[in-house]
Amino acid sequence: MTGGFLSRHLTLLRWVLLGVATVVLVVFLLAQRQSIDVSYGQSPAPSVRIEEGSAGELGEGTVPSTEEMSALVAADAVVRLPGAVAYWDEQRVREAIGDADIRILVAPPGLDEAERKRVRDVENAAVRVIGTQVGGGGLLAAPDTLAGWRAQFATGDVTGPLTTMIAKLRDAPAPPERDDLRWREPSDGELAGVLADLRAGGSHVAPGATLDGVPEEAARAAFPDGAWYVALPAQPHGEPLPAYGPALNRLAPDRPVVVMYGGWIEYHGPAAADFADLAGASFYAQFGDRLSRFDYPQRNVLGAYLGKVTDIRYAGLFDRPLPYRPLDPLRVALPALPWIFTGCVAGFLVLSARSLRRSGVLGAAGEPRLGAGAARLAGLTALAVEVSLLTDARSNPALTRGIGKLQAARAAVDEGLPARHVWQLLDDATAELDEAASVVGIPSYRPANYLQGRLS
Amino acid sequence: MSPSLLIWLVGGVLLLAAGFVTTLLPRLRARTRETRVAWSTARAAIDSATVSRDATAVRVPEAERLLARAELLAAERGGTAAARAATAHARSADELWRARP
Repeated sequence: MTGGFLSRHLTLLRWVLLGVATVVLVVFLLAQRQSIDVSYGQSPAPSVRIEEGSAGELGEGTVPSTEEMSALVAADAVVRLPGAVAYWDEQRVREAIGDADIRILVAPPGLDEAERKRVRDVENAAVRVIGTQVGGGGLLAAPDTLAGWRAQFATGDVTGPLTTMIAKLRDAPAPPERDDLRWREPSDGELAGVLADLRAGGSHVAPGATLDGVPEEAARAAFPDGAWYVALPAQPHGEPLPAYGPALNRLAPDRPVVVMYGGWIEYHGPAAADFADLAGASFYAQFGDRLSRFDYPQRNVLGAYLGKVTDIRYAGLFDRPLPYRPLDPLRVALPALPWIFTGCVAGFLVLSARSLRRSGVLGAAGEPRLGAGAARLAGLTALAVEVSLLTDARSNPALTRGIGKLQAARAAVDEGLPARHVWQLLDDATAELDEAASVVGIPSYRPANYLQGRLS
Repeated sequence: MSPSLLIWLVGGVLLLAAGFVTTLLPRLRARTRETRVAWSTARAAIDSATVSRDATAVRVPEAERLLARAELLAAERGGTAAARAATAHARSADELWRARP
């Protein structure tokens, strides 16, 4: 009973093992395909290449011909073309120039390739400013600190690069860097207006700002829990900047706040101490060159900044909490799969060998189970011997046929043929012996009676 | 990666081999056994028919022809079908002889 139960379960187990092995094998093969597309950090920030001009960076400003500009520069030490956005501290620049003849040409941002070439071809302008990019004598001067970038992009202040460039042209030591940017607290009225917009739609666009909506996908990737966006136009040079970031952060400490002043972006909110400087520095170090030369709309600047924020988040720097990523059971299980597979194969092999042995193919077939058949064969043989003493010519053939059948049964037993076949031959022999006994006329020699008598 | 890959390859081949062996071996064995059983039956039937022929006084050409055919089949040692045919011939020959006194 227990044996049958166990055997049935082992047979079932064998097929279960085969199934598991197959599944594991299939999983392994599928995982081979999956492991191809692994990208570093797996940041979802867009990484497609963008064609020049497609991001709206080319402005409407244009410049006159090279000859006209040369004439203007010859007439005046500082020439500002229409649309120019760069400003500087006149006092400091004058001091830097001193008594040298250094003429400055200021062009608007967002010029195309041909217009930039016309500006570069103005020979008598020692310093050429395109947008807020300061160039001269084959060199470029660009800020490399957050304060420098802030002055450049928030107010168009190029005093730092300009004095550096002039010092370089005069072979004088570079002046020390100064941060002249001033901040002011926003008034209660301003703050209330901004806050109402933020509470209603999550973003506030001040008059004059070019932001026409927050890029949804980039914003979701960068700040999954939502953020407030405040877009202001670039601050006129010399006026203090309203510090909306700290003010909003005091009102809603748990909410990320992104404030744009023209092309300058600030972050305030959770983890700002670790995060804001890193994001700003990496963003402006990478894009500052293009942002200074071109006239990008604020939406594109913000989109690029959010992409950088996403990259930083997914890079997992400084133990910043990553956005939740569900545990991938496949990655966890993959190293164990070969061993599971090996175990399944081994189990299947063992149980297969067992099933073969049980069906008598492997090893000892075991004694044919015909205890009853052997006893019947012995009984019938004894009967045949007894009847053969009484036989006569008429009953001879039946007896002879019966003995022939008994011999065949004996041979079948010796050859290990199935019990059913042996039993069939014994049945035939019984019929023949029965006929022989009835011819002899002794009822007790009929096989049924004879065997019963022997057994009792 | 290489030892792991080896595990998959060898394991897969072993699984296939085990499947084939456990399916084919019992089938093969059952077939040979069936053939032997059929021939055992056929030989027993031919023996019976031979005894019946010897015990019958008259000649029965039809039965002799059938028995000859059965013995021929047995001498050729064919498969299960041949053994069944030989058994059938021998039995009908046996019955023909037993019908005579």
